[in-house]
Amino acid sequence: MRNGGENRGRLLLVILIVSSLFLITLDLRGVNVLDGLRNGTQTALSPFQRAGNVVLTPVKNFVNDITHLGRTRNQIEDLRKQNQKLREQLILRKNQDGEIEQLKSILDLAGTARFKIVSAKVISQGSSLAFTRTITIDSGSGNGIKKNMTVISGEGLVGVVKEVFTNSSIVMLATDPAFKVGVRIAGSQQIGILAGLGSSSANLQLLDNQTTIKVGDVLLARGSANAQPFVPGVPVGRVSSVSNAAGAVTQSATVKYFANFGALGVVSVVVKAPKADPRDALAPVAPVPTPIPTVTVFVTPSPSTSPSASSN
Amino acid sequence: MLLRRFGITGTIFSFFFMVQEALVNQLSFPAGGFSILLILTLLWAALSTPEVAAVVGFGGGILLDLSPSTSGPLGHWTLILVFMSYAIAFFSYGDENMRGNPLSLILMITLAQVIVLFSYVVTGFLLGNVATSFSQTLITLLGSGIWTLVITPLMLPVVVWLHDLAFDSRMRI
Repeated sequence: MRNGGENRGRLLLVILIVSSLFLITLDLRGVNVLDGLRNGTQTALSPFQRAGNVVLTPVKNFVNDITHLGRTRNQIEDLRKQNQKLREQLILRKNQDGEIEQLKSILDLAGTARFKIVSAKVISQGSSLAFTRTITIDSGSGNGIKKNMTVISGEGLVGVVKEVFTNSSIVMLATDPAFKVGVRIAGSQQIGILAGLGSSSANLQLLDNQTTIKVGDVLLARGSANAQPFVPGVPVGRVSSVSNAAGAVTQSATVKYFANFGALGVVSVVVKAPKADPRDALAPVAPVPTPIPTVTVFVTPSPSTSPSASSN
Repeated sequence: MLLRRFGITGTIFSFFFMVQEALVNQLSFPAGGFSILLILTLLWAALSTPEVAAVVGFGGGILLDLSPSTSGPLGHWTLILVFMSYAIAFFSYGDENMRGNPLSLILMITLAQVIVLFSYVVTGFLLGNVATSFSQTLITLLGSGIWTLVITPLMLPVVVWLHDLAFDSRMRI
């Protein structure tokens, strides 16, 4: 009985070995059925493999991170530095774009008036705690800048050169309480004196009490002898309110400067003014109110059908 | 009865085959990794009679041959596992010192796994498979041996429980 069982076992073993060799032979001879079996297995397994991949992806990523911990950390550090550098470049670029824009508008203004200018970057804003309004620019006597020259921006008058050094200059801003400039109203040519108030507004005193000023009037610099400290025709500001105090000898008004003193990046110093006064050529065009379109609807009554007609 | 036993065994092997292909093969373990289907086949053979072990080896070998990642001809794994499963069962069947002791069982499976892989490489070389370098083969053999040493203790209780379930035996390890 035992021998019979052993023989049966050996026979089974032989059958299985022969079957294996048969399979190997068939495969090596290139029988298509066996290739089909593997393809079928792969087809059946692929959904499970995809699911497995989805499930194991976080695990694989985690293991990968652990394996490459040092490398990943260095990579993060490198990317962080690169990001910081790019951010700095972006800020610089934005700053440069702003400066180019300002410079372009200055050149437009100076070109129209045929001013000879020296452009300079604002390198410091004077502290308002000193009760003065000044800026420091990076051009000085080495660039042909002298004391009492007019300083402009793309919008208009900024101030006047107060101190000159070899490579820098200090500019007194038009907002300084000590700043005074002779102005005229574009169009009517009435003259007055504009004085800084320490803010973005200034006070205008007209010299002739017979003239009238109104809100929105544009003020231009009247100009000084030999164009110093002020060249003629530079836009200064716009009248924002008029005070008509009873008994006042002269009319006064509050003027809003054109120049944005809070965002001065690049300014220009007028080193030479043209002999001819540009008159009102530099006066900015008053903003035209956008017309509100009116919609007209024409209604044509349609011929109504009578109830009797519809019933028929 | 026989149909039920082999039906359950086939289902278990198919499940392990799917887990191997869908999960284990997705992870790249160092030094070659391991095959839970191969460990299962060897463990199952160690717990069975030589005849059953040979059939189990044949079935496990067929599944390994059908694996898309296998490069050898169909029947290659089958041939080796029929031999090895029969051999394991032949040496361990009736020897309670071997089968009743988990440590010796684990060591036997690990050794058998290394021999199986070595046989696979040698026969594959004879059958014309492209052989890797000697050092790489050595690393894979040693690495898979270590992996098997680690994984087999984890799988052993589960495989014993499943074997009992399939064959209604009351094995105590």
